[in-house]
Amino acid sequence: MGRAAAVTAELLAWWLLLMAAWLVFISTVDALEGFVGAGCALLGALAACGARRAMGER
Amino acid sequence: MADVLTVLALLLVAVAATAAVAVRDPARQALVLAVLGLALAVLFTVLQAPDVALSQLAVGSALTPLLILLSVRKVRRRGQREDGGR
Amino acid sequence: MNGWLWTATVLLAVGFGPVVWAVATGPVGRRVVAQNFGTSAVCLVMLLLAQGYQRPSYTDLALVLAVLGPVGTLVYARLLADDLSPHPPHTNLLTAAAALATTAVVVAVCAATGPGRAMVKLLVTGALLVAGNVIASRAVSGGYRNAEATSHG
Repeated sequence: MGRAAAVTAELLAWWLLLMAAWLVFISTVDALEGFVGAGCALLGALAACGARRAMGER
Repeated sequence: MADVLTVLALLLVAVAATAAVAVRDPARQALVLAVLGLALAVLFTVLQAPDVALSQLAVGSALTPLLILLSVRKVRRRGQREDGGR
Repeated sequence: MNGWLWTATVLLAVGFGPVVWAVATGPVGRRVVAQNFGTSAVCLVMLLLAQGYQRPSYTDLALVLAVLGPVGTLVYARLLADDLSPHPPHTNLLTAAAALATTAVVVAVCAATGPGRAMVKLLVTGALLVAGNVIASRAVSGGYRNAEATSHG
């Protein structure tokens, strides 16, 4: 249970970071950009979690 | 006076391209090629073509050196193996 | 030609001219250091050009270069490690100079831009540039090889 919570927290932290970066880098902020950014940030967060775990097991 | 930037960028591209031809060792040539890519990106930006500069940066700064250095490494390794087999 | 473009011209001549010369001559270590410094110099030139031409979207070039430049240097540091390890080059002075120049340019451009999302983007670009330069310099001068040897030793 604690492990799942830790993974979720890490995923959420990565997602917030990537979403903030997306919102800073786009030229105009609107709803569609927000949706696309949320999806991309989720993919990026999953990749970041996987990469960090791969580094930690080394 | 408005062309100073263009002339300077063109000059840097010419010098870097000449150096890239003059250097003989492929590994060192890859380094000069990366700098030539940077000079070209500046030239494209000065000529108001940022899209071309963007693709030049994306290809020239990391991808071309990686391909050249990996090929050089593979060729060298194969050469050593053939020398050892003789 | 406004002040920004003149500054970009001077930076291109003073910062990038010697890089072209240094990358074409001398030992491998100096060439890799020159390539690393050239990336930072060109990134700052891009920031100044974006401000000089009044095109905020040109800062994307600086952003891409700030991310990809250190990646290229790390490629060299990894694949030329055999040539670099006997005489690791000294990079502290150039790294400090690049960091100082980056700070000066980013602060000036931020002051001209004013607060907002564009300023945050400029600050992120500057931070990425300095961090990438420090990491790449350390990798070139063999800092991570020693750390790896002690941690596994």
